[in-house]
Amino acid sequence: MQEQAKPTHSINRRQFLRTALLTGSVAMVAAAVPGAAFASTRQVAAGQATTLKVVPRNQTLITVRGGTQGKFTEDQLWNPFIATANHQTGPQFVCEPLAFYSAYQDKMIMWLASAYEYSPDYMSLTIHTRPEAMWSDGVPFTADDVAYTYNSLNALGSKVKWGADVNQVLDTATVTDPHTVVLKFKSPAPRFFEYSAYKYDIGIYMMPKHIFEKQSQDISTFPHWDVSKDWPVTTSPWKVVYSAPDQKVFDLRDKWWGTGIVADMPKPQRLVYLPDPGEQNLAQGMISNSFDIVTGIQPTTFPTVFAANPKITTWTGQQAPFGYMDWWPHSLYVNTRSGPTADKDIRWAISSYIDRDQIVDFAWAGAASTAALPLPQYPGTQQFYDASQSLLQQYNTLEYNPAKGDAIFQSKGYAKGPDGIWVAPDGTPMNFDIISFFDFTSVGPVLVEQLKRAGISSNYSEPPNWFDRFSVGDFSMALFGHGGSYGPDPYYTLRLYQTASVAIVATHQTNYSLWENAQYDKIVDDVYAKSPTDHAAMVDAWTQAMSIWLPELPDIQIEQGYHRLPTNETYWTGWPNAQNPYVNSAFFHLTPALIVHKLQPTSA
Amino acid sequence: MRADYLAKRVGLFLLILWLASTINFFLPRLGGQDPVRAQLGAQAAMGGGSQVGMKEMIAEYDSRFGLTKPLWEQYLTYLNDTAHLNFNFSMSAYPTKVIDIIWRSLPWTLTLLGVTTLMAWTIGTVLGALLTQPNAPRFLKFLLAPILTLSAIPFFLLGLLLIYLLGFQLRWFPLAGGYDQGLLPALDPKIIANMIYHSILPALSIILASIGFWTLGMRGVMISTQGEDYLLFAESKGLRGATVFWRYAIRNALLPQLTALALALGNVVSGAVLVEVIFQYPGVGSLLYQSIRASDFFMIQGVVFMIIVAIGVATLVLDIVYPLLDPRISYARR
Amino acid sequence: MANDTWRYMRRNPELIVGLCLLGVLLLFVAIGHAIVDLDKARPLSGRPLLPPSPSLPFGSDKQGRNLLAVMVIGTPQTLEIGVLAGLIGVTVGTMLALTSAFYRGTADAIIRGVVDVGLTIPGLMVLITLAMNVKGGLSIPQMTLVVAALAWLFPARVIRAQVLSARERSYIDIARLSGMPTPMIIIKEVLPNLMPFIVASLVGSVSAAVLASVGLEVLGLGSFDSLTIGMTLYWVIYYAAIINSWWWWWIPPIVIIIILFTGLFMIAVGLDEISNPRLRRRA
Repeated sequence: MQEQAKPTHSINRRQFLRTALLTGSVAMVAAAVPGAAFASTRQVAAGQATTLKVVPRNQTLITVRGGTQGKFTEDQLWNPFIATANHQTGPQFVCEPLAFYSAYQDKMIMWLASAYEYSPDYMSLTIHTRPEAMWSDGVPFTADDVAYTYNSLNALGSKVKWGADVNQVLDTATVTDPHTVVLKFKSPAPRFFEYSAYKYDIGIYMMPKHIFEKQSQDISTFPHWDVSKDWPVTTSPWKVVYSAPDQKVFDLRDKWWGTGIVADMPKPQRLVYLPDPGEQNLAQGMISNSFDIVTGIQPTTFPTVFAANPKITTWTGQQAPFGYMDWWPHSLYVNTRSGPTADKDIRWAISSYIDRDQIVDFAWAGAASTAALPLPQYPGTQQFYDASQSLLQQYNTLEYNPAKGDAIFQSKGYAKGPDGIWVAPDGTPMNFDIISFFDFTSVGPVLVEQLKRAGISSNYSEPPNWFDRFSVGDFSMALFGHGGSYGPDPYYTLRLYQTASVAIVATHQTNYSLWENAQYDKIVDDVYAKSPTDHAAMVDAWTQAMSIWLPELPDIQIEQGYHRLPTNETYWTGWPNAQNPYVNSAFFHLTPALIVHKLQPTSA
Repeated sequence: MRADYLAKRVGLFLLILWLASTINFFLPRLGGQDPVRAQLGAQAAMGGGSQVGMKEMIAEYDSRFGLTKPLWEQYLTYLNDTAHLNFNFSMSAYPTKVIDIIWRSLPWTLTLLGVTTLMAWTIGTVLGALLTQPNAPRFLKFLLAPILTLSAIPFFLLGLLLIYLLGFQLRWFPLAGGYDQGLLPALDPKIIANMIYHSILPALSIILASIGFWTLGMRGVMISTQGEDYLLFAESKGLRGATVFWRYAIRNALLPQLTALALALGNVVSGAVLVEVIFQYPGVGSLLYQSIRASDFFMIQGVVFMIIVAIGVATLVLDIVYPLLDPRISYARR
Repeated sequence: MANDTWRYMRRNPELIVGLCLLGVLLLFVAIGHAIVDLDKARPLSGRPLLPPSPSLPFGSDKQGRNLLAVMVIGTPQTLEIGVLAGLIGVTVGTMLALTSAFYRGTADAIIRGVVDVGLTIPGLMVLITLAMNVKGGLSIPQMTLVVAALAWLFPARVIRAQVLSARERSYIDIARLSGMPTPMIIIKEVLPNLMPFIVASLVGSVSAAVLASVGLEVLGLGSFDSLTIGMTLYWVIYYAAIINSWWWWWIPPIVIIIILFTGLFMIAVGLDEISNPRLRRRA
């Protein structure tokens, strides 16, 4: 095709190009504005609010945790029962419970429920609700809501969070009068109320029957989110005014049923919840007073933060360990079914190669402590530590004694190869893959090095599907914690190692160690039927269980877990701490209401 | 002739679209990971507790997302849905729809990366051209070395340094995010100004890190152009230096630069991932990274498809427009 | 001879500067191997977070590693990934480009299609997906293969364009007329003239490969035991070394990366000068 350079043709082209260039440059310079505007309309539609009222900084409480890559994914889910919802990043502020439990005080703090009592055989539980309790749309909170919540969970079972737990024991929940509900169980359930109460990450959230029963979706899928209808409807003093991947904003309502009855009206006028921006930005945000309390930072970052902003403090002030002992002790889980770790002597040998003090030193800069048992050391659990002392003398789970480990390996026929790694009698060298997640990134490399020096080669990684593999036993070693007991009831920790349970229908999936012992199982089943108030029986059962557990060492004990949450006292004081431990300061657990109702503004 | 070429080009575009979508479908599933289990597992791990009945919950969600159907059936459903721009629900952000999440994030990326790439290209091109002129301002020559050094730093590193220096030490700029917390994005000039303020550091790190590439490229092209006969002719015609520079030299040197720009725009999103992750910028890049980590098949499919379409359209447009810019290229070329 | 070399150096300073910069890195690695005990690059080698001192010229990191040892081991590892992946990429890319441009027909259509589609899908996404499917984080050989898997696409496209235009030259016609078989034509006539482009592609590939591997590691997809520059940067970000003023931890890797990329950049510019005579300055 020939392009003749006719005058008219070239002028056309030139003119076209000129206009194109002009419009192009104008468009480019102005691109920022329409781009931002477009972004804003989309964002606005998602967050469902067009404007927020202005609230000064000193009346706002800003918290930071969660999200991935700086964005929340569950921002449209305000029904924490949905499996992909996350009560740690928002719903914990607005969904109130029947009661709170504070492990440090070993105290049940009644909230929506005023009292409860079991029948002597623990086959039924009667719960009394407070007549003053009210939902945010003016409808009273009654026993109907409690019964509705429990019956729905029972009906849906494993399709919904906590459903399987409820389904195991609950028969029906019936309302006898507007403020009384009776729960009938299939088998004795002396722990049911305490299980429903909010503590750490465990508790049953109460849902409004009058909203949920009208939906076509059930409690397992209904998101309960619509700002125009003032959803979520809750009994809390907070109203969700904005929720999007970048932030969640709660404004204080004018009235709240609990004022003067269970607590004071909160002083903050607004709560803002932000996703985690990474270690450097967390520190910078705290220093610049952009945040009031954030998710944990590295122990080594605390001195920098304190030096730059003296108003920042922690549970233990400005001293190590910069936090409180969490309910989640850490250990090195090993596969007790396959591989060399199926042999309990090998497990003990590996345990003797680990220098826990060095882990505390290098991984946590000394801001941690070791744990001899898979149990936190709380006022309520201390008795179990005391009762285990003589057993622990014999079976020292914290002992660092490489010579002992060497002796065991040699007695099993292992020999050290030329590279210093133990080789089994059949010729396979000792090699493990340790998997875990970001909570353990500091520990992994230190542990790998310790094992290497002992003659065990390993490598540490954090694959995205690690929990998947961990929960089905597809691992050789893993670093994880224990979500067990936190009070004078040892049942929850003991059940972590049960195979199946006779007294309760359906198996648990919590025995990550895959360890099985019929005798141990029976002891734990017996504990379940007894009430946790029978302290002597509890300690006795614990000791019996430990005398089986300790020689076997299903997982290797390392340390206590700590929450090192920096709190900023520039705008708010009254945070719980070691002097005033009214509850653990994790605002992402289910207990932050206890904190928020106590915070006082400063003069800033 | 022209219609024939157009048809062929469009056909090729659709073919590439289909091929890329198919790869897009299979790639995330390569690992054999169950996204639902990964998501539920992550929540359980975060919660520190244990969930009874996880297996049943996973089965429930798998069937809800159609993951239990045979692969070929999922593929056909996927093709059909994609043609209707229906990307299903996001697995990790259920019940939000993928398309809604994409629409929320896309403007941020397009604005930030589109504008910065164009700005870097323009500044770099002009700078590169000026560097070849002996009578250009002297200070420009001294700019070359620092620009080259800055280009050598991966821009995500530059971003970290800028956050620390300008954001933290000097407190000139905000540290992260698309806008101040407590503000809502709205069509309010103050808020828009705030959004632009927040985008300055990420933009700066991208621009500073990429100017060098464009500058050198343009300089190289300009120098080759300077040897061309028509420039000699223009000079001997007595035209002013500036005229020769702008209307003859640059106009012709722009063509290869433009091609390079089109190719670079295609890489914009790849670069976006790292920048957005460092700056916590709510764009498509960090969305893509987030969904890959979560094995959120539907989200990955949706995002990548939009990217493929964008790049395909850009290439198509360039292929059609290029002959307009350079009359030496004819449609009839084999 | 020396005179010519000197004169060339004055004409093409960029190439020499680039080579010198890479030389500096190699010298650093060589000297380092001699003066530092490489075992100290392992964790728990000493007290953590110590600033530089005579016994610890680069100080130590959070896990007690001797940072000088880490840099000495990690630099060649990072380079190795880049060079290997770049080499594989360019070799495969050139071979495919030559096949595609000379034999045309179906081979050309397939190769061109794959390259077009491959360049359309965001490269980093493929890398991340591949990286995630490997159990245990990417080891160095795995990282090399993963990066190489994508590294051949761009060279293939660029070199194919060059070959297409070279094909039309008269010397190729003469060679064909004189009965040379096509593979011989490729090797003896085309390749030598393409060399500057191929080498320039190589430099670009190496740069891109190093950047890709560092990017993957910074995102946390590398192996935690690895000592490469990328992994060091990952730890720097994880422990917020910048804000904590542990300057000895983050400055060396950044300086090394700057030297590496600037060197490669300069070499690329210098090679450009060789292949494009118009860019040559008068001596």
